[in-house]
Amino acid sequence: MNDQHILSAFDRDLEGIQANVMKMGGLVEEAIGEAAMSMQNRDEELAAHVIKGDKAVDGLEDMINEQCANLIALRAPAAVDLRVVLSVMKIAGNLERIGDYAKNMAKRTSVLVHMERVEGAHSSLRRMAQEVQHMLTDVLDAFIQRDVERAKDVLERDHNVDQMYNALFREFLTFMMEDPRYITPCMHLHFMAKNTERMGDHVTAIAEQVIYLVTGSMPEEARPKATRLDA
Amino acid sequence: MYDIAKMGTDVDQNTTKISARNVQVYYGDTHAIKDVNVEIGARSVTAFIGPSGCGKSTFLRCINRMNDTIDVCRVDGDILIDGEDIYDKRVDPVQLRAKVGMVFQKPNPFPKSIYDNIAYGPRIHGLAKNKADLDEIVEKSLRRGAIWNEVKDRLHAPGTGLSGGQQQRLCIARAIATEPEVLLMDEPCSALDPIATAQVEELIDELRNQFSVVIVTHSMQQAARVSQKTAFFHLGNLVEYGDTSQIFTNPQDERTESYITGRIG
Amino acid sequence: MTDVSQPNSAGTPQSSLHRLDARTKRRNAAESRFKFYGIVAILIGLLMLVTLLYTILSKGTGAFSQTFVTMQVELLESKLDKSGTRDLEKIKKVTTFGYAPLIKGAFEKSVLEHGIDTDLKTKDMAKILSKSAASQLRGYVIANPDKIGETIEFRFLANSRVDGYLKGRVSRESIANDKNITAAQLDFVDQLIAAGVLEKTFNIDFIIGADASDQRPEAAGIGVAMVGSLFMMLVVLALALPIGVAASIYLEEFAPKNWITDIIEVNISNLAAVPSIVFGILGLAVFINYMHLPQSAPLVGGLVLTLMTLPTIIISTRAALKAVPPSIRDAALGVGASKMQAVFHHVLPLAAPGILTGTIIGLAQALGETAPLLLIGMIGFIASNMPETIGEGLLSPNSAMPAQIYEWAKRADPAFYERAWGGIIILLIFLISMNTLAVILRRRFERRW
Repeated sequence: MNDQHILSAFDRDLEGIQANVMKMGGLVEEAIGEAAMSMQNRDEELAAHVIKGDKAVDGLEDMINEQCANLIALRAPAAVDLRVVLSVMKIAGNLERIGDYAKNMAKRTSVLVHMERVEGAHSSLRRMAQEVQHMLTDVLDAFIQRDVERAKDVLERDHNVDQMYNALFREFLTFMMEDPRYITPCMHLHFMAKNTERMGDHVTAIAEQVIYLVTGSMPEEARPKATRLDA
Repeated sequence: MYDIAKMGTDVDQNTTKISARNVQVYYGDTHAIKDVNVEIGARSVTAFIGPSGCGKSTFLRCINRMNDTIDVCRVDGDILIDGEDIYDKRVDPVQLRAKVGMVFQKPNPFPKSIYDNIAYGPRIHGLAKNKADLDEIVEKSLRRGAIWNEVKDRLHAPGTGLSGGQQQRLCIARAIATEPEVLLMDEPCSALDPIATAQVEELIDELRNQFSVVIVTHSMQQAARVSQKTAFFHLGNLVEYGDTSQIFTNPQDERTESYITGRIG
Repeated sequence: MTDVSQPNSAGTPQSSLHRLDARTKRRNAAESRFKFYGIVAILIGLLMLVTLLYTILSKGTGAFSQTFVTMQVELLESKLDKSGTRDLEKIKKVTTFGYAPLIKGAFEKSVLEHGIDTDLKTKDMAKILSKSAASQLRGYVIANPDKIGETIEFRFLANSRVDGYLKGRVSRESIANDKNITAAQLDFVDQLIAAGVLEKTFNIDFIIGADASDQRPEAAGIGVAMVGSLFMMLVVLALALPIGVAASIYLEEFAPKNWITDIIEVNISNLAAVPSIVFGILGLAVFINYMHLPQSAPLVGGLVLTLMTLPTIIISTRAALKAVPPSIRDAALGVGASKMQAVFHHVLPLAAPGILTGTIIGLAQALGETAPLLLIGMIGFIASNMPETIGEGLLSPNSAMPAQIYEWAKRADPAFYERAWGGIIILLIFLISMNTLAVILRRRFERRW
């Protein structure tokens, strides 16, 4: 199939929207990394930077939604073009949620720096955040390269994130049982872990959109069950 | 307008009204239609789309043997309506055309009165016993053609004096006056403005309750709006045939995809 | 293209629209020159038309008036009906010679009555009348035998020289060598004019009357030839229209398109260009020599003109059928009409104005055609009697208007020449009214679709 529309302005519009998605993805990726780093290093300044940066992500989402609305109204996209527009809107929504979670993580960091440090927990939480960050990088690559295999791989990897969350959950439980003073920071840390796990879910949702975009149908079986609460 | 009950009427579109088997059409030495196989359902709207010269109109005109009027045109293969081969020697094209009505690209009312336009078909087929019968057929057809209210006060005014959209609905009413079972439409809206187009499309959607409608259109949006099934023709081949929603969101063939997304194919 | 490639700083216009460049000037000049040539061409055409009309009218109007001498004639019973029984058979036995004394007597009476002083003998006076004067009078007496014995007022045709004298064609100088008339007779004519006996009036006989022999141009009329033309046109209309229309419909709507129909088509177009005299000789060979139809008969003339008109009608009918949009045929076929129904219910009514126009133009052409009539003997014949029945009209020898005009133009006497021009005026009136009818029909029945 030829990649170019007869109407070249249509191509330019589609490319513009996807470029904005990639820009948004880059910002969100950076926000996850920085939020995790500020948490581990107890860096209040960096956390403030992440919180501030979320505005740009929100702005981009609005812009993408508007561009998509324009494209639907003016170009009447069909088939693959229609799927691009639909998935881009959903991906933008997912990215925005991920950005919010990163912001929330940074907010909690700015509270945590004034509390007792919970030794050992930070590095596992950061590893988890890094895993999500890598998944996001991969899924954005898969989106731009229309790579179904890579998107499926991301779907599989969400399982690891879930397991890491389960491990952290048990760890925080242990800390809190050992010393009630840790309850407040651990609760914060647990929420951060939970948020990171939610980020993973949004990344898998993006991966599903990539698969829909390329194949025209959603992946057949639901992705591996997110959280087992019996842990 | 969201009518859930309507979805129930789609049930009997599974029964096949027209089926084409290995249809080949030649114009002199040109092979215009190559081996087309298609099953068209009863009481549904089927759209034929494709670039100019792809053979969609030619195939449409095979269904009521309008191609017979062209000397160099030759049709091979079978086209069956209700299981009967319409190219059988025993079939008279005149009788066939009473059963398979046609609406053309350009509104072409006869330069006669509105009444005579509608009454002509029933008259030559002897469908009315007397004047009262004929009056009734005319009114019924005009009502079904969704144009009764606009013309009831001037039935004896010339049909050519109507607006383009009204003329086309008059032509549709004329086509259904002979009680056909299949209604063929060859780009019926290409000469109409968007409002008139919408009115004709609304009419087509209503007609689907009684007829099996086959429509050739250049407007993919129109095909998407009015049809339940869509067939994509390309260079004389039937490339893809399937549910309209599937063709427009997730076509299986690359050529279909290129065409409906407006890419260079 | 040099001006285009010049560097151009953004924003400043390259050239002014208020100044014409050389090329535009040349182009405009060429256009005005062409318009001028066109106007000149039209003016030349108009000038020729005006000249033609002027010539025809100035030379032909004379034919519509004629000089008459009105006198009191005493229908002496002693000369016309000696037995006094008023037996028509006996009255008919009196030849024109028997009427000559009556006319002489009438002159004597007039001269006395109006006190005209002349040296002419009554024999020479009578010579200013037409040679048909006596037969004119005889005809009147035979029609009204009861008038014998009475004195009646009778209008005699004047001699063509006298008529010419009144119309300015004949003068005293031009008759120096003329045996038919003398200067003394012209003096007598002047006196008669002064007395009101001799005058020029409108001559209905020219339009409705019959042709006359070489000696009597003053009595010649185009009426019988007009009837001849009328019968020919009836034959043409009755044959050419149905045959032509049927042939065109078949060729245009039903015939398969192959080499045979191609050949027929080419030949029909060629037939339209065949010189009309060829049709004449064909008519002579086939209708007269082979089929032994009567010579000089309007039926034969009509048959020949039918052959000539057919291609015109076929070509114009086919053009009219072609002009009907195919969408109308599609519409009719689409509701299940058969091909014939489609043609007869829809195509033909729409093509009718075109067909009628073509037919009328063809008829007008045939009406003005002379050459083929030459060969079938409708020329050189003196059409002197009105046909009495339709059969006689078709079969008895007759002339036609253009043939009559040709015949008159051929004769020596200048009085006939004037009648030829007069005949042309009548023919033109016919042609113009037929063409006007064609235009009106087209305007009236033309439909939009």
